[in-house]
Formats: sequence, structure tokens, C-alpha cells
Amino acid sequence: MLTYILKRIAQTIFTAFLATASVFVLLRLAPGDPAASYAPPNPTAAQLAAIRRQFGLDQPIPVQFWTFLTRLLHGDVGTSFFFKRPALQVVMERLPYTITLAVAAILVTALVAIPLGVWMARNANTAPELGANVGTIAGQSMPDFWIGFVLLIVFAVNLGWFAPAGFDSMASIVLPTVTIAILQIALISRLVRREMVANLNAPYLTVARSRGVSERRLIWSHAFGNSAIPVVTALGTRFAAMLNGVVIVEVVFKWPGVGELVVNALQQRDFPLIQATVLVTVVLALLVQLAVDLLYPLMDPRVRLGEASA
Amino acid sequence: MTATAPANEAPVPMEDRASAVTARLRRRSAAARRARYSTIKIWVGAICAGVVVVPVALARVLPLPDPIVGKLTESSVPPLSPGHLLGTDPNGRDLLSRVLHGGQTSLIIGLLAIVVSGVVGIVAGAAAGYFGGWVDMVVSRLLEAQLSLPLLLMLLLVVGLFGPSIIVITAVIAFAQWPEPARITRALVLVEREKPYVAASRVLGLNRASIIARHVIPNILQQVLVVVLLLLAQAVLLESALSFLGAGVQRPYPTWGGIISDGRELFVLGKWWLVTVPGIVIALLVVGVNLLGDGLRDRTRRSKVAS
Repeated sequence: MLTYILKRIAQTIFTAFLATASVFVLLRLAPGDPAASYAPPNPTAAQLAAIRRQFGLDQPIPVQFWTFLTRLLHGDVGTSFFFKRPALQVVMERLPYTITLAVAAILVTALVAIPLGVWMARNANTAPELGANVGTIAGQSMPDFWIGFVLLIVFAVNLGWFAPAGFDSMASIVLPTVTIAILQIALISRLVRREMVANLNAPYLTVARSRGVSERRLIWSHAFGNSAIPVVTALGTRFAAMLNGVVIVEVVFKWPGVGELVVNALQQRDFPLIQATVLVTVVLALLVQLAVDLLYPLMDPRVRLGEASA
Repeated sequence: MTATAPANEAPVPMEDRASAVTARLRRRSAAARRARYSTIKIWVGAICAGVVVVPVALARVLPLPDPIVGKLTESSVPPLSPGHLLGTDPNGRDLLSRVLHGGQTSLIIGLLAIVVSGVVGIVAGAAAGYFGGWVDMVVSRLLEAQLSLPLLLMLLLVVGLFGPSIIVITAVIAFAQWPEPARITRALVLVEREKPYVAASRVLGLNRASIIARHVIPNILQQVLVVVLLLLAQAVLLESALSFLGAGVQRPYPTWGGIISDGRELFVLGKWWLVTVPGIVIALLVVGVNLLGDGLRDRTRRSKVAS
């Protein structure tokens, strides 16, 4: 168990390194002068050169990367060109907004998708279920930014129930959450249905029913208990992906999270800020994945971490 | 008391009642119903997709106003106006024409992307599944690594780097999509390579490349192609998302995501059609492709069970 965790942490560090390195190289190859975004308007060539020297942008890329890595070990990801503050600090200020949104979205998803999927499995291949099935297909077929705009047009502009953008009060979280949840509910409920159909037809369920186990227990404790691992895995993966930035939804709703931050940083060629965002979100996403994997033995005592899964 | 007992008894559930309908017949009827539903899905899907694809394919033939140069006298006309079925944008450009011409770009990118990702995915997945060993390890690690990277951000970076040409956007979408066919192909090939016909062709002295290409892949192609078809839906969505974030084919050439992105500041002013109409078109196409793929997948699964 301990070796398993250590191995996974080593993997996490390696993947984070991979992501950081590829972003680093891509950024250096990209056209556009980052010094220009730090400089005052209409800079002279001497000013630009001074800025490049200050941030080490005149060095060869391998040297820049080495400097970056050694500083990283001291917890220093660099100073944001745009905010002129430590990049890590800027990211950390935005992170709570993204986490709040991701948690709200995943909770709503789980609360709707699991009962919906179970209902669909119990009524598999009936007319109402076909309707729900088509509904979930429609749910995963709409562009998320478009769902966001339609919700804004209806609920913010026409009905005036919510502020059209940004973060004013806790009510502002409703529309972005719904936007994210529509797609996720569609995906997760279909997974729940597939798993539950397999378990509902399994012989062990017939045995349990013949022993007089109540229908509620049959469904939730027996069948769903055995469907839980893939469902929790999927929820965990989705949650981790959201931490990587619900970029589009944050842009649509001007939600002050890391996704919105990183899109602006890309446009301003704010290298340190992009690096910091990628690093923080990738590590966070990997930790969520690790936590989900550590839950497996709790859900299914047959699972021994690090043996069969290796 | 005893006389009323039957009335108080809970009604016997349908499944447990003795009747001439045996469990076997009921299974058959469920299977028949499933088959019917998959046919319904295939037809509804084909119609939804066709409603979008056919006019888009004919966009250059249909008598439409120019999608790039508009008449400023007809600025922001609402839908269902004479001459402009879906209205116009603030530059007086006909929305129907823009949506259909934009659809050509979006569909070409989507089709090219799934061809590339399908070929790469099938080749990589088949090699990993058939050879195993270090080939499998390399492919599987690549798949895992890609899953843990912030994909959309990487795609935005690459488009920013190489410029938003059709080739770059296609490559980027194909890169995002190759894991799906690769994983499916690998799983199917793992099962397939243990079958007797593979051993037989090995005994006959065929080399490994031709066993994979001429014997294994044709046997799994049907199932993989359904997955690739479903990727078309994802490709169209991804392309529109990139366009929306400004990393799509550039103005003035219309794309679906671009039209929505242009309209986003305007719906506050009541010009709702610039956002809603292209979104409905995207959704219609993607629902169509998804339903079609889903129905076909149900059907291939069933024929596999039957055989």
C-alpha cells in the first residue's frame, strides 16, 4: 500500500514535469514578444532588450529551462509579466473560484445523474427510457459555450434573475454550474445506466431476490454497489478535468477562475503565469485522480492496490 | 375474513405470473424492441444530420447572398424577414448563407480530423494490441500521459504557435482524438489475436504486417468505425470551441464557433438570433451523428452477441 502510494506520487511528479516541460518548450517556440507586454507603451529597442535580460529571455532555451527548474524547487515560478506579482500568488487567488465551481458542478452532476441512470437501467428499452436516452444524447451534443449563452439570454437578459456575468453573489454560481452539469449529467447517467443494466441482469441479483432482499436494497446496495467503481472513477476524472480549467464556461460567464485567467495570459504572452497555471492545475488534477484510486479498496474489498492494478 | 384475503393480497408482479409467455419469448420481445429502437435512432439521427449536411454541401450551388460582403442597409434584420430567412448580422451579411458556408469549413475540418485520428488510432492500437511488449507499453503510456495534460490549453497554445490555418486546426483536433480509436482497437485486437484464424494464418507463413492489415483489422473495423463516426460529433464541437476562443479559422471567413463568438456581445442588445441559430445547427448535426452512431453501435453489439 505504501509502496503503491509512493509509486503514484512519483508518477504524479513525472507527469507534472512532462506537462510543465512541454508547455515551456511550446511557449518559447511561439511567435510574439513577451517583453512587449511587460514594457511601457511604444518601447525603445533598448528597453525591450533590458526587459529580456531581466527575465532571462535572451538566454538559450535549455538554459532558461534549467533556471526555471532550479527556481521551481524553491517554490518560485516567476513573476507575472502582466500583474507584475509572483505568478503563483495570482493563480492561488483565482483557484478558489474554479474549485468552487467544479465542486458545485460535480455535486449537481452526481445528484442528478446517478438516480437518472438507475431509473434508465430499471426501465431499459421502454418508450420513456428511449426519450430519456435521446435527451442525454442531446445533452452531450450542444456546445457548452452555446448552452451558456442561451441560459444568459433567457435567465439573465430576459428574466433578469441573475447577473449576466462575473461573480457578484453566491447566486452567480447557478448558471455556470448548470451549463457544466448538463454535459456531465448526460455522460455520467449513460455510464450509470450501462453498468446498472449489466448488474441488474446478473445471476447474483436473482439469488438475492429469491432470498427476499427488498427491491430498494437490491438496487442500491447490491447492483449499485457493484457499479460504483466505474461511476466514481468517471466522476473523479471529470472533476479532475474541471480543475484543469473549465475554460470555456469561465470565459462565457466571465467567472474569475483559472480558466479565464489562462486564456487572458495566453493572449498577453504572460509566460510565467501560463506556467504557474498549468503546474498548479495539473498537480491538483493528478492528486484528485490519486485520491479516487485510493478509494477503490473502500468500495470493493477485493481490490488490493498495487497488485492487480499494476 | 378468509373470503377477503385475496383482495388484500398484493397483486402478483407481471414477471411472476404463470402464463403462456415464457421467459424466452419475453427476452425475444425485449430484443425485438431494442432492435426497433436502434432502427429509430439510426433513422432520426440520419435525418437530423442530413438536414444540416445536405444544405451545407450545396452551399455554393444554392442561390445565397455573399457570406463575407454584406449590405449595410440591411444591418441586423431579424429572422423570417423577406430575403433573409435567418436574418442578418450588424454588417448586413445573411446569416443563413454564413451558417451554410461556415459549415463547409467546420465539416471539412471535422472529416479530415477523424480520418487522420482514425488511421493513427487504428494503426497504433492494432500494433499495441497485436505485438504487446514494449510497443504496447509505449502506446499505453502515451495515452495515459495525454489524458493528464490540460488538453484545451495545449491546443490553444499550438494554434497560437503555428497560426490558425485549416491544416493546423485539423492536426490539433486529430491529436486530441486519436486516443479513443486507439484504445478501442487495442482492446478488440487483444481478443482477436487469440482466435484460431490468426494462428492459422501464422502457420501458413504470412508475415505479421499482413496478418494485422488483411485479417485482424477487417474483423474489427466495423466496431471501430462506429467510434470514429462518433468522433465527428466531438470534432465539430471542438472546432467550434476553438473558434469561440479565437483560435479558429480567422475572420472574415465564417465558422460556426466564430459566428456565435461574434454574436456574444450582441444578444444583450436583443439580437438573439446571431447566437442561437448557429448553435441550433451545431446541436442538430451533433445530435444526428450521435444518434446514428449510438444506433449503429447497438446494432453491431447485437450482431456480435448473436454470432
